[in-house]
Amino acid sequence: MEKMKLKLLYSDLKPELEMIEKELEQAVDSESLLLNDASLHLLQAGGKRIRPVFVLLAGKFGNYDINVLKKVAVPLELIHMASLVHDDVIDDSEIRRGQPTVKSQWNNSVAMYTGDFILARALEHITKIESPRVHEILSKTLIEVCRGEIIQIQDKYRLDQNLRDYFRRIKRKTALLISSSCELGALVSGTDEKTAAHLRRFGYFIGMSFQIIDDILDFTSTDEELGKPAGSDFIQGNITLPILCARKDPELYAMLKSNLNKNLSDEERFKVVEAIRNSSGIEEAKAMSERYLQKALRELSFLPKGQGVKTMRKIAFFIGKRKF
Amino acid sequence: MKGHQIQSKIISMEIEVLNAVRQRTLDQFTEGPSVKESRLFFLLLPFFSGKTWSPDIEASAKTVSIVYAALHAHDQIKEDAPIIKEQQLTVLAGDLYSGIYYQMLVNAKNIVMVQRLASAIIKVSESKTSFFEEEFRTVEEIEEAITVIETELLMSFYTFYGYTEYAPLAKQALLYIRYAEELKRLQSKNYSHFLRELNTNLVHENYTKYWLTEKLDSLHEQILASIADCALDYELAQFLLHQITPHQHRAEQLTREG
Repeated sequence: MEKMKLKLLYSDLKPELEMIEKELEQAVDSESLLLNDASLHLLQAGGKRIRPVFVLLAGKFGNYDINVLKKVAVPLELIHMASLVHDDVIDDSEIRRGQPTVKSQWNNSVAMYTGDFILARALEHITKIESPRVHEILSKTLIEVCRGEIIQIQDKYRLDQNLRDYFRRIKRKTALLISSSCELGALVSGTDEKTAAHLRRFGYFIGMSFQIIDDILDFTSTDEELGKPAGSDFIQGNITLPILCARKDPELYAMLKSNLNKNLSDEERFKVVEAIRNSSGIEEAKAMSERYLQKALRELSFLPKGQGVKTMRKIAFFIGKRKF
Repeated sequence: MKGHQIQSKIISMEIEVLNAVRQRTLDQFTEGPSVKESRLFFLLLPFFSGKTWSPDIEASAKTVSIVYAALHAHDQIKEDAPIIKEQQLTVLAGDLYSGIYYQMLVNAKNIVMVQRLASAIIKVSESKTSFFEEEFRTVEEIEEAITVIETELLMSFYTFYGYTEYAPLAKQALLYIRYAEELKRLQSKNYSHFLRELNTNLVHENYTKYWLTEKLDSLHEQILASIADCALDYELAQFLLHQITPHQHRAEQLTREG
């Protein structure tokens, strides 16, 4: 339902998004039946397609040409997909978006090769664009996203990490790719540097807000709504903002510490989720997300008024209030 | 070029690859980037043979090595078990190396090479995945998949820079090395997907062993012929034959096994 609502927000982009969806399907087409199945399985599990949407919306501030914009939108979504297949191996995740993951349906090796294949397809696609600036931004983003993931593993189970560690991590893990989506959409559409910079910053702030909300929802949503067990972040040792805010309570801190890095039964998992849900951590994290949202909206105020800003504003508000 | 100079150039390339992808956490918890000496030898073969070579070409050869390291990292991931920290970081090491090769080629303004390598990675991934498919394949089809896995990246480098005269020799030698490794695995009953498929295809593992030893002999003969075709100088040919593809004839192997 929530995904439907989000899609309604950018319904004016429907024809373009359908075109991108088809391009994505063609992009993962392979001579290997297994790779085809695995990639389509991933593609058809859906997703918000937030990155392509931001590419298209950013394109509204320049010479909007879907045939140019799709050359950026498709690879960005492919890069995101490739990272998801590998993340599921790292996190040993059985379910994503309510569907079995590639690693669970086949095995870790097939997931590794599927991710490599999809990433290579993304690079093959993006080379259709000759602009060196586009490649500079994208290659830097790819590296930073990986570094973010490496830091995430380094920081796992570290209940005593500081907020800066968390923000540094989510910046690289999520915000950079969304920020690059906005900037690249702007650049390939020939917008001026100043507009591209505002769009990049908008993408960054909205990406930070988006990830914080994601981390909150991991505790406040049900297993069904999430399409995976609630509290998965905690189980996997990912110390997110709600936990970092909630740990001030010494009792809760002790409880979290004693449950960290353990094989929790469903009952124990629910207890942890419930404790975080009832703590001040959720509200504090929401406030933090709201601050990023406001910063994102401020960036929009510097942009020329029009349909692009209107839709971006709506999406920003939706992200702040989404339920799952 | 003398043997020790060849060795030293290979080591220097290996160190450059290591420095290009260095990352503190990965250094601490993973085995680090790994590129086989044989692949580095063949990437540098045009240089060893005195062909046109430039810093740009050498940088490009380095990026191919990094792609090899990236794909190798992902080959190290255990197939079924939930993976531990070292393996989690190995997944990310492979991804990071991919980002680094892309960035290096972007900095060198060599976008066409990015495209060529991406296409090669696609073929390699397809061939690797083919070993997990259930459909029956002929031995020739299995061989074709192994050839792609072992040589496609190098071939894209040779084609791009016009070094295709070395392609037959490199293919034979890299296949030779792979089959020699597979024979060792077979002897220690450490079956790879390739061996399992070959065993099924050839009905009994004794036939697989026979097939592999025959292949090694035949590839060795082909390597000797290709060395002559490429007019490799004596030192270079000796390095290849003794350091990269040391050969034991089938009869010698059988004698050793008693």
